[in-house]
Amino acid sequence: MKKNKKKLIYMVLIFCLNIILLTSCSCAFPGLGGSAQDNDIVIAGGNTTERQIVSEIVKQMIQHYLPESKVHIINNLGSTPIIYNSLINGDTNVAGVMYTGTSLTGELGMDPLGSAEETMEAVVKGYYERFDIVWFPSYGFENTYSFMLTKETKEKYNLNNTSDLEQYADVLRVGVDSAWLDRPGKDGYQGFLDVYGFGFDNLFSMDIGLVYEAIASDRLDIALGYSTDGRISSYDLVMLEDDRDLFPPYETSPVVTMDLLKQKPELEWILLKLQGQISLETMQDLNNAADELKTEPYKVAKNFLAENNFFEEVARSSLKEIPLYKDFDLDFEQD
Amino acid sequence: MTVLFQYFSENWRYILIQSRTHFLISLYGVLLACLVAIPLGILLAYKKKSNSLSMMIANILQTIPSIAMLSVLMIFFGLGSNTVIIANFLYSLLPILKNTYAGITNVDPKLLDVAEGLGMTRIQRLFKVVLPLSISIIIGGIKNAIVVAVGITTVGTFVGSGGLGDIITRGINMVDAGEVVWAGAIGAAFMAVLLDILLGFVEKKLTPKQKRVSSF
Amino acid sequence: MTDWLMQNGTRLLEKIFEHVYMFAIALIVGILIAVPLGIFISRYRKTSQAIISVTSVLQTFPSLAVLAIMVPILGIGKIPAIVALSLYSLLPILRNTYLGIVNMSPGIVDVAKGQGLSSAQVLRGVILPLAAPVIMSGIRVSGVYLIAWTTLAAYIGAGGLGDFIYTGLQNYDINYILGGTIPVSLMAILFDLLFGKIEKKVTPKTHR
Repeated sequence: MKKNKKKLIYMVLIFCLNIILLTSCSCAFPGLGGSAQDNDIVIAGGNTTERQIVSEIVKQMIQHYLPESKVHIINNLGSTPIIYNSLINGDTNVAGVMYTGTSLTGELGMDPLGSAEETMEAVVKGYYERFDIVWFPSYGFENTYSFMLTKETKEKYNLNNTSDLEQYADVLRVGVDSAWLDRPGKDGYQGFLDVYGFGFDNLFSMDIGLVYEAIASDRLDIALGYSTDGRISSYDLVMLEDDRDLFPPYETSPVVTMDLLKQKPELEWILLKLQGQISLETMQDLNNAADELKTEPYKVAKNFLAENNFFEEVARSSLKEIPLYKDFDLDFEQD
Repeated sequence: MTVLFQYFSENWRYILIQSRTHFLISLYGVLLACLVAIPLGILLAYKKKSNSLSMMIANILQTIPSIAMLSVLMIFFGLGSNTVIIANFLYSLLPILKNTYAGITNVDPKLLDVAEGLGMTRIQRLFKVVLPLSISIIIGGIKNAIVVAVGITTVGTFVGSGGLGDIITRGINMVDAGEVVWAGAIGAAFMAVLLDILLGFVEKKLTPKQKRVSSF
Repeated sequence: MTDWLMQNGTRLLEKIFEHVYMFAIALIVGILIAVPLGIFISRYRKTSQAIISVTSVLQTFPSLAVLAIMVPILGIGKIPAIVALSLYSLLPILRNTYLGIVNMSPGIVDVAKGQGLSSAQVLRGVILPLAAPVIMSGIRVSGVYLIAWTTLAAYIGAGGLGDFIYTGLQNYDINYILGGTIPVSLMAILFDLLFGKIEKKVTPKTHR
């Protein structure tokens, strides 16, 4: 009996050891990627093609200019809250793409602001002051939520604006991202109910990647999708205007934690080279290359950077030169 | 089919890397579970406790949906492959524990008496008689665990573990690319079957040739 | 957590109902396919191994992929989810039905036939009652898994408790995750207990 008790204690010890081994140490299992605690650069990618491509662009830019650094991507993170939490917890230290509107109403808990500039300013300041994270200037494109449908459906119901959906709210089959339905911010479904004053009877909360296919195969009438998605042109979909301004502007930027910037100050000018370099059309083309032409995101990114020669010609600049960042404490030791 | 072929020929290196990640994540989880569940199963079998607390906990763990388990673990342990390894570990506990218990309690007590009569110590009896005779049932449990683990790892893509789930998600995001979804799915199924066969070999190697001795 | 319950109580009930509804139909469909199929293949032992292998490979297909593939074919919502779920429920029931019948001592069937019973009567009066406990344990295993798997239905807009779990995952909100998970686990445990009782009931007295 005594022996068994001893054994039991051993068992419990082994169990605890396992868990500790797995979690506390920065050591990853052999053969698997590292984490931000290893002083590596870890980029939070997403489950959308756009987030994957742009994260690859960021990764390859860093590798090009800092060949000795280790850069990983953690891919397929399903939403901004997951990415934000991974930055805060130290699982990652760079986010490939963040959207100003999403973070404004989400993490920062503020009401939607009208203009893109105001939104950007609020998010840059909010992130710096509250989370010690630097939000870079925009890549140059916006990706907003939009209700979309086929041309046939548009004509059948004579729909032009989002508010036109009201009279058919009981018959239309509407598919939305499950992250949107219960999202805490005011641009979620609750916000939609408040601003537009009606809801949908046949509302399907599902994976965002599946809504486009579902519309194309006539399983849905309307879907809430992303305006930059390559599948909009592939499936010949049209978007309804957000005529009551529910959605704030969603400009796109890379985001880096202060801790990482202190270690790798070069990231500042590397990421600034990308400022304004990806237009809406470019992003749609890149998305299309991945989704319609079925090129993997890392290759799309590679081709894009090769075409632009890794933006070698763009002069190195610093955030200090931009008025919005002039009060930031960003004086790191440059190598 | 052409889509699939084109995808494979262009991205075989990427697919191999994802398969390797997938394989390792599944395997590590199950191996860790073996380290805990086999000794625990032996202990429980010796004490003849079939309804112990540990068995109950393992049972309840089994009822938690994979996506929920991963979400909860994500909140406590962060993102990445380690979280999925922990999930695989937790899910593998029950099948291995249950089969170890069953395998050992199924060993004919007469044989143990004989072994004792031959002057074997407790430890000798365990390693020379009990374990060899129950190994095929124990490995059966490991096989069940591995099939589950390969499946869980696919869902693990949601917490950023990589693996074949990444390819499935890519296929979902592509236009008209059911084939690519299948590529990931078939890859995972193939891996599960392959591991099953591999463990079958291990089982053969470890099972004593004259297993039928027990019928005297 | 209590705040969350106050806010989402009615929705929780709705989701539980959806969950049970999809699960129950999928399991019943699974039983209606797997039990007859199991009886059928038990007569052809050579082909049976092949069929069981096929269903076990089916089982290893990641549910995520199966659901995604269903969208263009069957659309979104409850029906494709139920189809996918019943596919997953097949294996344990099929295997146990087969094993339950095959492992019966062949003498019993011969005796029954010798007494002039037709094959249908043998099946109903002898084979099924004797194989019932094994079949039941297959249904029990299948059901416990199925309750958990039904959460994946949320992926294609079918609703159920998976909706809460997905929302919780996407929005990093543990209340939603637990609000979805705890009822699922409780249901699975309850189902397990209930069917454990039924399994005992259907076991012929002599077997106890």
